[in-house]
Amino acid sequence: MIEFLLFALAVKLSEDDPELVRRLKNREPQAMAELYDLYGRLTYALIFRIVRNGPVAEDLVQETFLRIWNRVHGFDAERGAFGPWILAVARNRAIDYLRSIDGRTMQTPFELEKMEEPSQYADFERHIMNVDRARLLREAFVKLSPNQRVVIELAYYEGLSQSEMATRLRQPLGTVKTLVRSALKRLREHLGERAALA
Amino acid sequence: MNHEELGDLYELYTLGVLEEPERAEIEQHLKTACPECQAGVKGALALNALLATLPETLEPPKRLRRRVLASVGMEPAGSFWKNAWALAAVALAMVLFVVALDSQRRNQELAGARGQLRRTTSDLAQARAEIQQSSAELRQVRSALTLLNLPNTREVVFGGATAQPPRGRVFVNRQQGVLLLASNLPPAPSGKTYELWLIPRGGNPVPSGLFQSDIAGNALFVRSGPVQANTAAVAVSLEPETGSTAPTTTPVIVASVTD
Repeated sequence: MIEFLLFALAVKLSEDDPELVRRLKNREPQAMAELYDLYGRLTYALIFRIVRNGPVAEDLVQETFLRIWNRVHGFDAERGAFGPWILAVARNRAIDYLRSIDGRTMQTPFELEKMEEPSQYADFERHIMNVDRARLLREAFVKLSPNQRVVIELAYYEGLSQSEMATRLRQPLGTVKTLVRSALKRLREHLGERAALA
Repeated sequence: MNHEELGDLYELYTLGVLEEPERAEIEQHLKTACPECQAGVKGALALNALLATLPETLEPPKRLRRRVLASVGMEPAGSFWKNAWALAAVALAMVLFVVALDSQRRNQELAGARGQLRRTTSDLAQARAEIQQSSAELRQVRSALTLLNLPNTREVVFGGATAQPPRGRVFVNRQQGVLLLASNLPPAPSGKTYELWLIPRGGNPVPSGLFQSDIAGNALFVRSGPVQANTAAVAVSLEPETGSTAPTTTPVIVASVTD
């Protein structure tokens, strides 16, 4: 319940995102302070969940906010979704770290950088991150089967491909793909049609 | 793949975990500006953002806020350390100030000590000079007493006939020397001194020593050493302070020495 209250607070405050983005673009340091106050806890919790290491999480949170600061000029203050962008940057920084320490050489080039482009977060409806949707997702996640939750967590919090999941779980790749597909479908259905989200 | 099949992969694609050949196929399709796929990608990004809210909320360390703000040049990362440095700088300045004051005080004390040392040295030199003078006078007095106590020393009185003459006595001992005791002998003018002469019979005066009288006009002078047997008189004249080889002025004291 506490995490929902905090998230709700962050979402409520994020209604001022366009103005905040403008101030960040104007290089107002105080705007950075406000941005951290809005998203600092969320990004820290997310990154810590991925790296499981406090000092590393601190480094990555700092890197996340610095990256936002450096790339905010490319963000559309009026049409962009600031929260999803920040969280994507935070998650990708942490996944990058995991991959670096694991020595994971991906068989395919994953384009985390591309998914951090501010232009990817334009034309979002501002309400895509609100308390109701966060609650719906949590409910849907809890209702997943354990195996479904595992594959979603491996993809989201460890950045594993489906082949890597199959190796980790010692399951056939087809089984993993079925689990992933079915899990995502349940989440989408619980939240509503994807078109409604976008 | 058709749109429905692609639609199952948007989340994995946007999470960066989709492998080939599906990833390339999605990218190729997105280049066609397919509205359905673009909407699918945005929906996937939105779902990913909501997945980010699942972890339990954690309160980050307070120092992290300072670090983040410092990284963009706002609050010094560590304003604590900046303050600490500032405090350290102030403390250092205070220490330097105190040291400077102490140094100034020590310099003043040292200068005072040096002045004191100079004065002490001067006093010491003066004392040494006084001691040397006293020693010389003592030696002269001892010589005079020795000469006076000798049985064969002869006494000659001079100046008794004049109104305000130098008066005194001359004691002559042929083996030991001559002792002159005088009074009413005014201090020699600046650049001048008194010179004692031993005058042989039929010969020229022999320079026998320089001396001064004191402020009261008294003088005691001993010329040590044998005295020639033909010495007929002892005289004193005023001469340049370096002395003369022969009297240049009329003698102020003349005492005949006769056996």
